[in-house]
Amino acid sequence: MIASDVRQGLRSGMLLAIVVVFLFLIGATTTIADIFANALKQDRGVSLQAVLGLLALWAGSQAAKVSLDEKRPSWPRTLLRAGVAGLSSGLVIGLTLLLTLRLHEQGINLRTYLYQLSPASLDLWSLGRSPIAAALFHVLLPLVGCLVGAVLARGFRDAPWRGPASRRMSAVREAITRPLANAARTRWGRILLYAALGTLLLLLPLRLNNYWNFTLGTVGIYVLMGLGLNVVVGLAGLLDLGYVVFFAVGSYTIGLLTAPTPHNLMWDFWIVLPIAVLLAAIIGVLLGVPVLRLRGDYLAIVTLGFGEIIRVLLKAEALASFSNGPRGIPSIAQPTLVGLPFGSDRDFMYMIILSVMLVIFLTNRLQNSRVGRAWIAIREDETVARAMGINTLTSKLLAFGIGAAFAGLGGVLFASRSQFTGPDDFNLMVSINVLAVVIVGGMGSIPGVIAGAFVLKGLPEVLRELDAYRILSFGALLVAMMVLRPEGLIPSTRRRLEMQEARAAESPPATPVAPVGRGGAA
Amino acid sequence: MSGLLNIRQLTKHFGGLLAVDRLDLVIPEKSIVSVIGPNGAGKTTLFNCITGFYDIDSGEMEFAGELLNGLTPDAVVRLGIARTYQNIRSFPNMSAVENVLVGMHSHLHTGALSAALHLPGAVREESEALGKALSLLEYVGLKGKADTLARNMPYGEQRRLEIARALASQPRLILLDEPTAGMNPRETSETTSLVKRLRDDLGITVLLIEHDMRVVMGISERVTVLDYGVKISEGTPQEVQHDRRVVEAYLGRGAAAGLESPATA
Repeated sequence: MIASDVRQGLRSGMLLAIVVVFLFLIGATTTIADIFANALKQDRGVSLQAVLGLLALWAGSQAAKVSLDEKRPSWPRTLLRAGVAGLSSGLVIGLTLLLTLRLHEQGINLRTYLYQLSPASLDLWSLGRSPIAAALFHVLLPLVGCLVGAVLARGFRDAPWRGPASRRMSAVREAITRPLANAARTRWGRILLYAALGTLLLLLPLRLNNYWNFTLGTVGIYVLMGLGLNVVVGLAGLLDLGYVVFFAVGSYTIGLLTAPTPHNLMWDFWIVLPIAVLLAAIIGVLLGVPVLRLRGDYLAIVTLGFGEIIRVLLKAEALASFSNGPRGIPSIAQPTLVGLPFGSDRDFMYMIILSVMLVIFLTNRLQNSRVGRAWIAIREDETVARAMGINTLTSKLLAFGIGAAFAGLGGVLFASRSQFTGPDDFNLMVSINVLAVVIVGGMGSIPGVIAGAFVLKGLPEVLRELDAYRILSFGALLVAMMVLRPEGLIPSTRRRLEMQEARAAESPPATPVAPVGRGGAA
Repeated sequence: MSGLLNIRQLTKHFGGLLAVDRLDLVIPEKSIVSVIGPNGAGKTTLFNCITGFYDIDSGEMEFAGELLNGLTPDAVVRLGIARTYQNIRSFPNMSAVENVLVGMHSHLHTGALSAALHLPGAVREESEALGKALSLLEYVGLKGKADTLARNMPYGEQRRLEIARALASQPRLILLDEPTAGMNPRETSETTSLVKRLRDDLGITVLLIEHDMRVVMGISERVTVLDYGVKISEGTPQEVQHDRRVVEAYLGRGAAAGLESPATA
């Protein structure tokens, strides 16, 4: 019994210790403390202690956790678990700190090994005291934090007001969502909701400054590409790691046809826009023909290769007379509207909003049609899908082409907005980012993809202070998502068809449909 | 004699293993024929050959005047042969009614463009298809389950869903691979009467693989027994039941010698 308590305590304690020591060694705590200090108007030392205290509370609540198959432990055992967690993590943290501070005192430059471990960061941790005192403090802080955290967690679990409170919460949620859902079910309610949403989207860019219009525009372009890749990966189940190809086709088509260099064609934006989208779709189908006979991992590897090939080709000096090589294409045309320039970040925001709405409209209809069902059937079981009479090759090519067209549209808007495009806009990270948007959002789910784009592309902009740790937090987010919500932020649900049919039957003009074959219902 | 499906000298190897060996089989129109045999006798291989999942090595398969040799699975479905699977293969993340709608795929015509634009033809076709799919679900006894995801349905219901999905392609011949496997007695008798109704109400010819001898003896007009890919017996259920070679195949030579009437399981 006691052994298992100690084990659980140690597990939580080591988790806390690893997190804290890691954040300390890479210097991230300084940044985090800064953010808290700004937000709470406290000094940095207090902020750091608050952050560490919160982490310790969390570890304590983890230590006090009761798994489903065990009886609720007695209070002393809960405290034992929390104590072990706090003490073990405190010792690791304290010893690490003691060691680092001693090395620092002896004049060893720690930044040779750990670039972010600045003297300022060490000062922050030592609280202006001697190394021993600082280490002792950092042993005590997790210990107290864990104990308090465990007591709070257990108290919260046993609290008599908890059941009624959560019932009240869900009642409140119901009161808000129920009328909306009901309204969405009637025709006029839907029109009204759409009108409200449309007005909101129309007014939004006017209220935003250029910075926000640009940032949200980028998010919007990722929504576009995410929705396109969602058709390929989420619906048809084809893992495409070279999605950037079609983004590049869109960008370079607008670039080559409208810019003064290298070809000096100077076509009009509005003429090139449909050409670029169509071209991207055609390239999608052409690339699909050889690769779509492959399944699963093999498909992923081959598309990954295509994604790199396009970047290398665009960069090649040998092709510079055609594509301008590594220098890229400057002065790409921007659209005009009735003779007036229409190229500010706000104008592009409008175009992006319109494009996103168009794409949502299209994918929503497609995924609930015969075509979309064929895609999902291929994703679920390709062999059986074939046996149901689905021509899997043309279905997949269609998915590839449509996905590519959406990326092409994104590419046109992207290149024209920044009036420049070059090979470096099209590295592997673009494909990976779009894929992450789809997976984090929820495969096959339109609202999920939108949420995913905001989280992965919007949040990093908001959290600019974390800039140095952007990739780190990105990775942490992905891991956390896979553990906590593997089906995505907003998982896809299948449309309910039975209800819809029942409503259709209620309206007078609907005629009863005879069953297949000559027999009726039994 | 010529039936709806005529198989002559069908042979299929897997490397050195002879899975089906010069098999002749005639399935008369509107009959219920069972194929039985010990595990590994080649029954499912036979189904996979007929439906175009496997390329056959030699022989001839002819269905309603058309040669099936070399056809892909989607082409076989369009000719009017549908099947279910031994291990359940419904589309798990689609609702029941969507599973059936996928089964109708080859009889619907809506393309990407008309679906995206909601052209009147597409809307009408979709609502008619939905009505048919719901009545098919009702027919197999899944009324009210239309919006349930297939993976959330109990085993017996998933098997009936597969039958509904197969019916959705409007087949003349349906191949059922162990439709009652893993069912309790009540579900088994429900499924048995469903199979009977397929033929009696809808006029669909049924070819059945089945291990439950009560089902086989109860509904089939003719039974074919396979062992190691070879047809060892054929006839009415009574004839097959008393065939020495069948008992040998199931229970071994010694048991056959010692038994007056063969076991029924």
